[in-house]
Amino acid sequence: MKKEANVTLTVPAKPEYVDLVRLTLYGIAAKMNFSYEEIEDMKVAVSEACNNAVLHAYGEEESGTVEIIFAAADDEMLRISVRDQGGSFEPGPHRHASSLHGKSIEEIQSGGLGLYLMQALMDSVEVNTEQGTTVVLTKRRMTVEKV
Amino acid sequence: MGKGFRVHMQTDKLTFRTENRDGATVVHIAGELDLEVASQMRTAMEPLMQQSDRRLVLNLRDLKYIDSTGIGILIGVLKARHARSAPFAVEEVPDSVRKLFDMTGISPFLSAAEQSGETTNPTNNQ
Repeated sequence: MKKEANVTLTVPAKPEYVDLVRLTLYGIAAKMNFSYEEIEDMKVAVSEACNNAVLHAYGEEESGTVEIIFAAADDEMLRISVRDQGGSFEPGPHRHASSLHGKSIEEIQSGGLGLYLMQALMDSVEVNTEQGTTVVLTKRRMTVEKV
Repeated sequence: MGKGFRVHMQTDKLTFRTENRDGATVVHIAGELDLEVASQMRTAMEPLMQQSDRRLVLNLRDLKYIDSTGIGILIGVLKARHARSAPFAVEEVPDSVRKLFDMTGISPFLSAAEQSGETTNPTNNQ
């Protein structure tokens, strides 16, 4: 892929389409020469963003879509935007990052793990909730000289 | 598939089968454990979680992918076994899965369960 290249994928906001997003991500990131481990990291992060859209964006009766834009910059950086058109702007557990570190077995729960993983696995995570929810995940390919 | 295995659930994505090993129930989970298969997985685990008299072991050797939904299921199993003081362990965790276990902080709970033979709080709580 040259300088700036975008690939857009729109899928129904349903659990069975999230692996399709992972497959697409794999193809794009492999073309950009991301390492196996970096690709695995991004796979989890993008799936978490999609899971949130699938679970929280639309009501039970509503059918909606999730749009994923993969934007490659200079073959070195991949920016993935995951956008839904859902009306949910109340703060849910998915808006709060939380891990299990330092907790007791009675306290641990899965709420907040998705966002926590996105933050841990990507270089940056931005969440915008102006019209629906957009999560922008960015990862720079590891280069030889590490800062 | 070897003898003595019982297949509980099989989709294109995830296989869930159990084996009897020295009085323990060993569950082999293979494939991708994500949101799509989470509820089936929960349903398949439910009766096994309640057998307090038997040791429960999850073998993850062929688990290729897990996300926070899958880790959430493990949290549920940990808690259920802890509440019953029932033995529980996870074995043969692949590196890619181990990384996510470490990152989320579930690892100490899993190894605490492994060492004591039952689910307790991790000793190195920080």
